Amino acid sequence: MAVTETYELEGHIVDSLLLAKVLDLVLESGADYRLELVDIGRTATDSSRVVIEITAEDDEHLLRLAEQLQVHGVNPLQHDPAVLEEAATDGVLPTGFHSTTNLATEVNIGGRWVPVVNPEMDCGIVVVPGADGGPAEVRTVPMHRVRAGDQIVVGGLGVRVRAPRAPKGASSFEFMDSDVSSEKPKGLQLTALVERLQAAREAGEKVLVVCGPAVVHTGGAPEVARLVRAGWIDVLFAGNGFATHDIESNVLGTSLGVSVTSGAGTEGGHSNHLRVINEIRGHGSIAAAVEAGYVGGGVMYELTKRGLPFVLGGSIRDDGPLPDTTTDVVAAADRMRELVPGVGVALMLATTLHAIATGNLLPGAVDTWCIDINQAVVTKLADRGSHQARGIVTDVGPFLRQLADQLGA
Amino acid sequence: MAELEWGRRYLMCPPEHFGVLYEINPWMHEEVAVDPDRALAQWEGLRDTLVAAGATVELVHQTAEVPDMVFSANAGIVNASAVGGPQFVPSHFRHAERQGETEQFATWFDDAGWTVDRLPTELDHEGAGDALPFGGVLVSGYRFRSDQQAATHLSRLTGAPVRSVELVDERLYHVDITFCPLSDRHAMGAPMAWDRYGRQVMEALVPEPLWLTDDEALSFCANSVVVGTTVVMPVTPVRVGRQLEAWGFDVVTCDVSEFLKAGGGCRCLTLALDTPLGPGPAGTTGPG
Repeated sequence: MAVTETYELEGHIVDSLLLAKVLDLVLESGADYRLELVDIGRTATDSSRVVIEITAEDDEHLLRLAEQLQVHGVNPLQHDPAVLEEAATDGVLPTGFHSTTNLATEVNIGGRWVPVVNPEMDCGIVVVPGADGGPAEVRTVPMHRVRAGDQIVVGGLGVRVRAPRAPKGASSFEFMDSDVSSEKPKGLQLTALVERLQAAREAGEKVLVVCGPAVVHTGGAPEVARLVRAGWIDVLFAGNGFATHDIESNVLGTSLGVSVTSGAGTEGGHSNHLRVINEIRGHGSIAAAVEAGYVGGGVMYELTKRGLPFVLGGSIRDDGPLPDTTTDVVAAADRMRELVPGVGVALMLATTLHAIATGNLLPGAVDTWCIDINQAVVTKLADRGSHQARGIVTDVGPFLRQLADQLGA
Repeated sequence: MAELEWGRRYLMCPPEHFGVLYEINPWMHEEVAVDPDRALAQWEGLRDTLVAAGATVELVHQTAEVPDMVFSANAGIVNASAVGGPQFVPSHFRHAERQGETEQFATWFDDAGWTVDRLPTELDHEGAGDALPFGGVLVSGYRFRSDQQAATHLSRLTGAPVRSVELVDERLYHVDITFCPLSDRHAMGAPMAWDRYGRQVMEALVPEPLWLTDDEALSFCANSVVVGTTVVMPVTPVRVGRQLEAWGFDVVTCDVSEFLKAGGGCRCLTLALDTPLGPGPAGTTGPG
């Protein structure tokens, strides 16, 4: 795993070509650097100071390089260690706790920068001492999961956040970085997403899909089912409504009572979804209903058949709800947290509330694509801290069909 | 060409207890005996040559446990132009064998009324052996005997802009074996001793250089003492002598072969007490 450490070099380093030499040595060794601070003296007698962040492929590489650089006066930058305070009460962080962002974060423990295992915004940071004097583990912890006695980071000392690096060189993703707009060539956006999903599959990253009921209403659910069947999706977050309408459309051919094939209303259709929920409740779970042959297709069917995890988060408006819906929202969020590690790409499909809820849990490093007909959804997501979100403003139904086609699902 | 503004006042240490008693550079071999009488005669010859050239010489005396103290160039850094009176920064020797010299030299300067300022203890620097003023900057060698970072502290203590040059050949382990300022524009230098960045720095620094071939450099001819227009050399390669004379210098070869057995020549046996450090003339050097 790549490791990064910060060093400083001070003195008459410009005219002595020491800076040039040090940077050359870093690159020649195969490591990379970033100048965090360059303070060049104005006159010949002023000394200069640079702070260099060096990234090497592993600890050994960095150590070897650091020894080599030390000869030329390069020393590790001295940092204040993080200040820890014990939580006094279950579910309560110490006053002055460090509040997290979703960006990659490191905490200085005993002079070493230890990366936070699971970046998540709006949490505290707990330091778990290593067993037998081993290295400490540093994790984010949501307020409700703090336990009395936990060592919590307080204040900003000894905590550093890594802003995401701009990708180097030309890549097909770059054009996506401008503001979200409906006036974008959809074909190019689609191609970029296809390439990203293919890259995720090659890298063994998980793909998370977050669906709103509109996916079913617009006829996109069979396409999501295709993607699940072909192995392009690994985990799903949604609400009671999406699962209900997905099952309704497969059992009764309607979504909220409207025929998904003809678009026409059906007699008594308004109660279709209630009848479906009732039957599933009778079976005890979606999996049991699939097993019994009551559900014969659709997104929930494919997930169940493939044994893929999903979380249905409940809300006050829910009918039923389905037995699989977790009505304790704190428990639902925790279950979602458990499924986040390993996710490389998140697709938010036609959903506002679940997109924002999921965005709150995702590390900033997760590539997040928000596909929605309403461009405000992406803006909302970004405004709530998920700055990594990219938006494709379009109707999800036809878009998902093209996506599934291009992926060969 | 203007003469160097320093080099007329020296501190020397008579070889009362000199010998090759350990090996801390590639030239030293314990089995090669030093002839004490011959060493003393050579040392007196050097002192007399310097005096004859117009220099004054002051003396510090060594004790038996520090045989290399004769190489007074390594005593420390002298800043004769320091605000508030002359300043001395004692060396921190890399090898334990020479560390006993530090306090003996420091005491001499303290007794003589100099301000003695110290480097951080964890950093090594071997004084004028690894730092020579030229062109308004202090050229400081590092790797074998001195730490690069020490130069930053020296600069802070003395106000002198520093050019750090990495030494890459262990046989030329101090900068004063690789570089010899001759006038305000002329200097001898041994490119073989410097890494490629150091070479660039030195090429930019010296307006009229005499770059030595490898053989010339290894003869120790850069370890010379300059008094006005007299260059006192331990060895004078033919080409080097001719060029120096063409530039108008008087070249005097002074046999110090007993000291070359320990890896030191004329310059190593002297410490200039009149080197002015501190900021150079405005506009002569670039930033930081």
